[in-house]
Amino acid sequence: MDIKFTKWIKSRQGQKWIIVFTFLLIPLLLLIVFTYLPFAKMIQFSFYQMGYLGKREFVGIDNYVQVFTRPDYFATFKVSIYYFIGAFIQMTLALYFASILSFKMKGRNVFKGILFLPYLINGVAIGFIFLYFFKRMGTLDSLLTLIGVPIEQIPYWLKNRDINNISLSFVSVWRYMGINLIMFIGAIQSINGELYEASEIDGANEWQQFRHIILPSIKTVVSLNLILAVKGAISVFEIPYIMTNGSNGTTTFVIQTIVTAFKYKKVGLASAMAVVLLVLILLITAIQEYCFKDKEARQ
Amino acid sequence: MKKKLASVLSLMLLIMSCAGCNSGGNNKGVETLSNVSSDIKAELTVFTNRTDLIDTVFKDYIIEFNKLYPNVKIEYEAMTNYEEDMTIRLTTDNWGDICMIPKTVSTNELPNYFVSFGKVEALESEYNFITEKASGGEVYGMPWSCNAQGIVYNKKVFEAAGITKIPSTPQEFLEAMKKIKDNTDAIPYYTNYAAGWPLSAWEDYAYGGATGDANYRNNVLVKADNPFSEGKPHYIVYKLMYDLANQGLIEEDPTTTDWEACKGMLGRGEIGAMALGSWAVVQMQEQADSPDDIGYMPFPVTVGGKQYATASADYCMGINSKSSKEDIAASRLYVDWLIKKSGFAQSQGGISVLKADALPATLQDFADANVELIANAPATAENEGLFDKINDASEVGLTSNEQKARIIEAAIGAVNESFNDIMNDWNSKWASAQKSEGVK
Repeated sequence: MDIKFTKWIKSRQGQKWIIVFTFLLIPLLLLIVFTYLPFAKMIQFSFYQMGYLGKREFVGIDNYVQVFTRPDYFATFKVSIYYFIGAFIQMTLALYFASILSFKMKGRNVFKGILFLPYLINGVAIGFIFLYFFKRMGTLDSLLTLIGVPIEQIPYWLKNRDINNISLSFVSVWRYMGINLIMFIGAIQSINGELYEASEIDGANEWQQFRHIILPSIKTVVSLNLILAVKGAISVFEIPYIMTNGSNGTTTFVIQTIVTAFKYKKVGLASAMAVVLLVLILLITAIQEYCFKDKEARQ
Repeated sequence: MKKKLASVLSLMLLIMSCAGCNSGGNNKGVETLSNVSSDIKAELTVFTNRTDLIDTVFKDYIIEFNKLYPNVKIEYEAMTNYEEDMTIRLTTDNWGDICMIPKTVSTNELPNYFVSFGKVEALESEYNFITEKASGGEVYGMPWSCNAQGIVYNKKVFEAAGITKIPSTPQEFLEAMKKIKDNTDAIPYYTNYAAGWPLSAWEDYAYGGATGDANYRNNVLVKADNPFSEGKPHYIVYKLMYDLANQGLIEEDPTTTDWEACKGMLGRGEIGAMALGSWAVVQMQEQADSPDDIGYMPFPVTVGGKQYATASADYCMGINSKSSKEDIAASRLYVDWLIKKSGFAQSQGGISVLKADALPATLQDFADANVELIANAPATAENEGLFDKINDASEVGLTSNEQKARIIEAAIGAVNESFNDIMNDWNSKWASAQKSEGVK
């Protein structure tokens, strides 16, 4: 038996098995310990009324009922609409810059770098940068007064409830545009250059090249970015949390979840909220996937 | 074959995962301090929220302590996000030996996590504020610096504005702030709204400070009907907050306030006053043109002709009841040393835990106004843990900042909501939580 085993282990089949197993062991272990296990626990918690410490009480779907029936909880999704619209502006901008930067032009890499840089900056730093930016007589106000806008006409960017979510989604656009840009550039560069030449001979202008060559070729990446944008919009967290603490009507669903979990110590309810958010994102992804596949099939 | 390999590997895994486990004992017995010899051997891990002191002050403490007990190895770990991180650590048994007890641990759960330092009656005569973390007559957390709750202000600004008498009622305070607005360039009152937590500091004024009643928080408020109605302590305190914002006596744009910058601004006389615990005085003085400019006055409320101030312990130190016997004994020695010998409270401008020590110089205004310091009395057996339960269940969140931000938002006209609307909402939330927790 032992001889057979050593023989097997030395064989090609055995070696393959060992390599596959050992290579997978650590990533799978990490994934299970830090992702699936906590996730399973979270689902379990969502059926309990519990704090961090102390007794737990099973309450069935009570927490879920609360999430859906409490207007102040679900209303936070309204804030996501701002970021959702922001995401579209962000994608349009990224697509625009990507198209320009994919062609030969001076200082192409410098511009690429400049546009991508915000994505590399730590979110906390961005929060503070923009706090100064939006401050009364901060960067933005100074710029505006410099070009002649009287200070009385400049709104308070974060105080005014009509525009503070727009200000915040602007920060989000500024920050995440770079990553869209890089993905688009990557996709555009994989397009065969002969296609442009051929279209040029046919007399196509730049818009037509974009419309009929670039866009259809990078459709997959665009749709992927769209899913990410929608996901990003419903789970916005970092920027409003750092900049406004979710105060003054900028609370998003994730911030509400955190407040519920850590301020009011309602871990069960917060877990239920997290599960609802997850299901929502899965749903959107599924719908998106379905529409996309359907189109493909029709073609 | 494959099965065998798999079982071997899974056995390895099992061994690996067990290597991390510690066979820590469950000794609950605590030796008395007197019979611990100076060569006691132990390794202690201490958790703290003071990220700023870990490489300086605390290091010196360890050196000093090791002169007495050379074989006790002490290691500090500081966390920026202390409350939340420590709460999660506490859910395991092996978190360490000493920690600053997070506010998330309700008093009735204290015995499950921490070693008792002794009976309240036994310690009361020597120490201040020990009832903060007491449960069932036993003390589970020792404070090592205590704060009074008042208002930090710039004396020069007050002088320049022509304020001759320290205000002692909300109305007088508003008038004083108006004088600052009219006569100086300073921001009369700075909310620190954007930082969030400074708003929650207001809550403490509503207890002993606005009532003169040590039992208010844990035994009265929890059972009161409509405790946020007009004339009640919370109404008086938060109405002042509302009025300050509503009458334009705060900074122009509260949403972009800056906590770090406000220290220098107060020191330079660009801010008149801020509501913060007395711990803030030292930090403000460090950044002032002249430390003497910074004053600390009691919260402007007078009850029956007398002023009171809520006083409370900063974080209390708790010792892990699941640690080994030696570690617990050494931890007790260290805690004792910190309280009696380290001089921490004095260096931080705090009130000493030892009853024998005098009030710090920063609280001179308190002594002048003959302010009586009132510490929250612990809940009676019947009300144990009730405040936390109702506070969390109601989501009024008295100890956190969301609802206070709401008051300021209403006051500056960001939302169409009156102060009374908010208080009525609190009342109804409080009442329904009282019902669900079985008080009524």
